[in-house]
Amino acid sequence: MPTTTPRGCAECDRQTDEMGRRRLISRRSFLRTSVGATAAAMVGLSSTALTTRMAFAATPAYDGDVLVVLSMRGGFDGMSAVVPLGDPAYAAARPTIAVPQSQALPTGDPFWGLHPDLAPLKPWWDAGTFGAIHAVGAPDPTRSHFAATAEMERAAPGSSLRTGWLDRTLGLRSSAGVFQGVALGDSLAPLSLAGPYDELAFGRIDDFELSGVWGDTPAQLKAEGDRWAKALRTLHAGIPSLTGSADAVLGAVSTTRSLKADGYTASNGAVYPHTVVDGPYANSGLSAALMDVARLIKAQVGLQVVCLDYDDWDMHADLGSITNGRFHDRISEWAVCIEAFLTDLGPTGVDNLSMVTLSEFGRRVEENGDRGVDHGHGNVMMTFGGGVVGGQVHGDWPGLAADKLDDGDLAGTTDYRDVLAEALTHRCRQPVADLTRVFPNRGTFGSVGAFRQKA
Amino acid sequence: MSAAAAVAAVPALDLLAGGAQAAPATPGVTVPEILRAGPLAVTAPARSQVLHLLSRATYGQTPADIRSVTALGTRGWLERQLKPSSIPDPVGASIGRLYPEAGWSVAQVYQQVKAGHIDRFSWDVMIPLSEYTIAMATWSSRQLNEVMVEFWSNHLNVANPSDGVWDSRQSYDRNVIRANALGKFSTMLAASASHPAMLNYLNQADSTKDAPNENYGRELLELHTVGIGAHYTEAEVLSSARIMTGFTLQWDESKPRYGEYVYDPSIHWTGRVKVLGFTHPNTSADGRAVVNAYLTYLSHHPATAHRIAYKLAVHFVSDNPPPALVNHLAAVYLKYDTAIVPVLRYLFTSKEFLASRGQKVRRPYEDMVATLRTLSYGLLPNTRPLAARRSGPEALYWMSDQLQHAPLAWAQPDGYPDVAGAWTAAGGLLARWNMHLGLAAGWWPNSTQIYKPNAHAFLPKVTPTLTYLGLVNALATRLTGAALPASHTAAVLTFLGKRPTDRVRTDDQWVTWDVERMLALVLDTPNHQLR
Repeated sequence: MPTTTPRGCAECDRQTDEMGRRRLISRRSFLRTSVGATAAAMVGLSSTALTTRMAFAATPAYDGDVLVVLSMRGGFDGMSAVVPLGDPAYAAARPTIAVPQSQALPTGDPFWGLHPDLAPLKPWWDAGTFGAIHAVGAPDPTRSHFAATAEMERAAPGSSLRTGWLDRTLGLRSSAGVFQGVALGDSLAPLSLAGPYDELAFGRIDDFELSGVWGDTPAQLKAEGDRWAKALRTLHAGIPSLTGSADAVLGAVSTTRSLKADGYTASNGAVYPHTVVDGPYANSGLSAALMDVARLIKAQVGLQVVCLDYDDWDMHADLGSITNGRFHDRISEWAVCIEAFLTDLGPTGVDNLSMVTLSEFGRRVEENGDRGVDHGHGNVMMTFGGGVVGGQVHGDWPGLAADKLDDGDLAGTTDYRDVLAEALTHRCRQPVADLTRVFPNRGTFGSVGAFRQKA
Repeated sequence: MSAAAAVAAVPALDLLAGGAQAAPATPGVTVPEILRAGPLAVTAPARSQVLHLLSRATYGQTPADIRSVTALGTRGWLERQLKPSSIPDPVGASIGRLYPEAGWSVAQVYQQVKAGHIDRFSWDVMIPLSEYTIAMATWSSRQLNEVMVEFWSNHLNVANPSDGVWDSRQSYDRNVIRANALGKFSTMLAASASHPAMLNYLNQADSTKDAPNENYGRELLELHTVGIGAHYTEAEVLSSARIMTGFTLQWDESKPRYGEYVYDPSIHWTGRVKVLGFTHPNTSADGRAVVNAYLTYLSHHPATAHRIAYKLAVHFVSDNPPPALVNHLAAVYLKYDTAIVPVLRYLFTSKEFLASRGQKVRRPYEDMVATLRTLSYGLLPNTRPLAARRSGPEALYWMSDQLQHAPLAWAQPDGYPDVAGAWTAAGGLLARWNMHLGLAAGWWPNSTQIYKPNAHAFLPKVTPTLTYLGLVNALATRLTGAALPASHTAAVLTFLGKRPTDRVRTDDQWVTWDVERMLALVLDTPNHQLR
């Protein structure tokens, strides 16, 4: 190809960090702003019986794991997180940014080390509830954030489907209420949820409220909420396509209103870092989102699938060292957020959790002149949960020697769809027969061994 | 009846062509009601017809629009909208001055980069383009043109923002979409095929004879023209991609036209090609003539006609449009050489259109713009600093993003869905209700960013005889054009805690400190949410 000058995302910084998104970045939410205008007047409601929240949960009861898909958008550098210490080409290719062998956390396999900032998660690794699959790849070879994200989340190469794999997954399940499929946090619903299934996308539990519900006392707020709900239900009975949605959202708002009124204290001494005012990771979006996931899990509202984003991995410059640079900043925050979440859920919660990370591509093996790495291909997926075959790195490592690379990048030897398929069938009660509809054109699914069959 | 069969059945109505060519009407063909009356007949239209036309051919009625249609008649008003240059648009011109980047060429973008005014690969042009789009949709007096700009932007979608179009998306908007929004589809299609934004977005720029990238060649068939129902084969998709090879970008920064379309014969695949009924020996390395013939073939294909007719009918008539109407629209499209105006003229005067009041649900973005229009929002006056004036549309952009319906932003090539069933996500509905209240209250954007009348301006004068029924009726008529159905009026009165006959007192909550929530609830009614 007669390319002489890179176009699209090159030495991009803030502008293209977010390019992989379905639409756009930050919720500079007018919703939140407007709610904020009245939030000061709000005080907690008294606790509402949990059973009332379950009124809309459908039968039969889902007893699979809650699947949390954590998108590490921007092109996560998997080799900086789960480090191929035993591959001599690794350190050679990254003279200033490689994780030093002496500093990496041991994994039980001398070939692999963990980034030192993952220390808070080491106990889970050692307990086998945190694992990894390396050299994971997608069939689409593109290095464009936008195209790679779209193809990864569509997960239907060679077909004309415009839906996402999670939308298709949820569409194959019995309907289980408005909280069945949720996109939570500071971003919009991902393309994996695009399609006819109606997911619930929102920022924070505490902000998911009708902004016209005003009041000074719990009784007033409840009365106000009921007054709005009554009017809106009547009005939307006149719009057939929205009648069901209105019922669903008013039910959901009633649930989040009571969750908010109940307040929330994390269990087992977990500290979500966003509660640290002005400290490290203050106002972490990931932390807040994970805490809300824990709240929803514990409230038993019928949660089955959750999508979260944790972005800003597009580190063309200043990926940096293990103690100084963008990767350190980002991964250390990530690790303490995940630690808080797992601690809060406790053993029973973790037993019924399957969390996976996804990123649209990995990064170039060789570092560039700005202490960063450009767009690459193969990557790591990290997994958390009681059903994870953890404490080890799965997958076939293709090696980083020049002749093993895919256009300069780590090759993909495990198809990411095989990992997701295993999570679905082994942990989430998805019949194997569904897989050809969730991931059409995959052909034969490879066995990864990353998840145990749920009892 | 297939689209092809319908061709013969459609009258050669000179009225459809805008009076260009007169021809005898074909016997036995139903002429749309308003066409019978002739182009200039003005009869006072029924208010319901006025509201119906405005709800579909604009982004939502304003009091001025209602007066305008009433004075001109539906047909007279429609004719003006179909010829947008005939409508003075000082506000639209002012929006153009507020967003000069929306008019930049690719070369001008690079000049701005060189001058240090914007960053390379940034969103510095893409986001203002979307703000410009919102401002034009909200305030341009050429409303039908703006509605069609949105329609075609989705039909030939190039996601904004997205990779690779940071330097060209605004030019695509100006020179492909806006230049042809009420022109001929064949011209628009050809313009899109050679535009750097499309060449990038669907990877045509990367496609070579040795490594054809099928993305554009496939979507050209599936989305832009005949549709998947035309039953082309995978071999024909490959042919489609091969025909297009040679259409690429100037990658070399040292050369003229950097970042723009160039034709490169060295990467054009030669050899016989066949796609549906199109065949060509394609022997020359200069394949441009083949491309021209191929695109012309596709834009005039009966399946393309039917597909565009169907999409127009979905947008303007019903989520399930009557097949007979679609067939007639397709026939008009082919008869007038893919010209859009005759198709719209037929559509808006058809009995199927007239019978379809309230059959469409406003999508979130349409709801937001309609809310802005009926609440008489405006740009800050041009005496205010540029940054302040732009901060209003900027806030509206993020609002539309929150509603998951930012203009031009649909990531996939198929454009935003246009049927109500695709917009039922529960979180979206909550965001929409909160948008109504936020705009009614003017919380954000606020008065330093945008012009908005005080909420009290929408209330009738509070006289000793004014009842709450009178108040709700007056408010609904002002905001939605008509009084609410009785059950909805009752729901609003219950919310207000009033009986219909209760008198409004000058110090009541609902006409003093709590007007905004009453306005918002009226905007939550089907009167406003349906079109």
